[in-house]
Amino acid sequence: MVNPTSRPLLAAVAPGLDLQASFEAALQGFGLSAGAAHLLWLPLPMVLVLVAAVVGVLVNVWLERKISAAVQQRIGPEYAGALGILQPIADGMKLVFKEDIIPARADGLLFTLGPVLVLVPVILSWLVVPFGQNLLVSNVGVGIFLWISLSSIQPIGLLMSGYASNNKYSLLGGLRAAAQSISYEIPLALAVLAIVLMSNSLSTVDIVDQQTGAGILSWNIWRQPVGFVIFWICALAECERLPFDLPEAEEELVAGYQTEYSGMKFALFYLGSYINLVLSALLVSVLYLGGWGFPIPVEWLAGWLGQPIDAPLVQVITASVGIVMTVLKAYLLVFLAILLRWTTPRVRIDQLLDLGWKFLLPIALVNLLVTAGLKLAFPAFFGG
Amino acid sequence: MFGFLKKVGDYTRDAVGAAQYMTQGLAVTFDHLRRRPVTVQYPYEKLIPSERYRGRIHYEFDKCIACEVCVRVCPINLPVVDWVMNKATKKKELRNYSIDFGVCIFCGNCVEYCPTNCLSMTEEYELAAFDRHSLNYDNIALGRLPTSVTTDPAVIPLRELAYLPKGEMDPHGVPDTAPRAGKLPEQVLATLPKSESAPEENG
Repeated sequence: MVNPTSRPLLAAVAPGLDLQASFEAALQGFGLSAGAAHLLWLPLPMVLVLVAAVVGVLVNVWLERKISAAVQQRIGPEYAGALGILQPIADGMKLVFKEDIIPARADGLLFTLGPVLVLVPVILSWLVVPFGQNLLVSNVGVGIFLWISLSSIQPIGLLMSGYASNNKYSLLGGLRAAAQSISYEIPLALAVLAIVLMSNSLSTVDIVDQQTGAGILSWNIWRQPVGFVIFWICALAECERLPFDLPEAEEELVAGYQTEYSGMKFALFYLGSYINLVLSALLVSVLYLGGWGFPIPVEWLAGWLGQPIDAPLVQVITASVGIVMTVLKAYLLVFLAILLRWTTPRVRIDQLLDLGWKFLLPIALVNLLVTAGLKLAFPAFFGG
Repeated sequence: MFGFLKKVGDYTRDAVGAAQYMTQGLAVTFDHLRRRPVTVQYPYEKLIPSERYRGRIHYEFDKCIACEVCVRVCPINLPVVDWVMNKATKKKELRNYSIDFGVCIFCGNCVEYCPTNCLSMTEEYELAAFDRHSLNYDNIALGRLPTSVTTDPAVIPLRELAYLPKGEMDPHGVPDTAPRAGKLPEQVLATLPKSESAPEENG
């Protein structure tokens, strides 16, 4: 059932760059047992992904402030480091050293648990984000479904912190966040389902593999334009980005569920929302924009240059290009999200739910049905 | 059946229209990205206040005749004129004069009515203080002249929008010699016929 044209090429790519095998082989060369070598390898990708996520957030915050400033014809942060590049670190340090306050008559346990429940699923979802054929923490079989299920834990944390704050703004913000997340989860899942239907797999690696046949032409965005738009709108709503930032609408709700938070707990929310944005952008690039694929397949490029695709140097270059492409696509989407933030006005809560239930949900359903029909009619083009 | 199709058509048209408007909006914000910042980087750059700017009041002690007109025209009788009658010379002797700029609203009535022109408006507006009582300026403090924005070596002076050449929106990089838009009052005066521009006779 796998796209027959692209598979043999990728099968040739796959064995070349297996970092885990080479790392463990190197450690065993020093006389360690196979088990110990595996144990030493295990934390490496996790720490690396965690660091990548946090650095991604810092870059994201800086980009958000600089692009916002440019859109409003300001300069933005300028004095902390060159071009204000250290400003997010300065903000983070401030939050780390700030006093941690639990308001009187708030529920201490839930108040502390809330931000944790928001952040942990988001970071856990990075498990399935592939930066290359073998460059991901774990190629889970249920891949993209894991992300969908993890992202539905988040509203529980938001509701928890909104309720525990003992503050009417927090409670309203928490309730709005829950309503919003629930109503946008469904079209999001349906849009993903259409992709899964075409890829015959839930695994993120397989989804990207299925898009690598003919470079930019084989990306899912051409076969799923409606799904792409639905997914992007829902992703923005899930991240509570500006047309849909009602849960923390400062003009109405002070800061929504974050009102009573300060110091490190607030930093967790802050980190969570930005990691979520980067994650959503990464997943859009994985699902619709060919993940790590270069617009022209690297196999073709290597062929034109007369280089064997299995050569170590070519493998390293291919992997680097893959990482750069994934991050580049993700940050282009982040740029679009920031631009949208200053373009669109905030929707009302009833408009939000209208859009989710009466517009996105039927369209996503029709999109799924049409995809299924097209798959039956043109199996060659729709992953039959 | 037909009504349903019409509904679907209207709905689609609405959705396409919304997408169009969104794209137009994105084009506007995207276009702003390439424009230069119009903000003034305040402590390093400052706008040159206009000629009629009503800033902190300057006061010349020696010109003052202690007539207290400033007190009478002040909306809240703010200036404190401390004088005593010198019986021998039968003249007022001024001892102290003070204005509290924490209370002053900078309306300029005192400056307007002062018979000896001992009061005037400066272009100073940076009056921040740690203690509001330190805003109560005595005649010594009132007699100090502020550092002009144009002569301060630590500040890049920028012209306000009305003082920029025609079509110019951004004060950055506009040469000092570039004339402002429109004519100055004396230039307007020069174009008028002689009879109308003759000075008025008012003693």
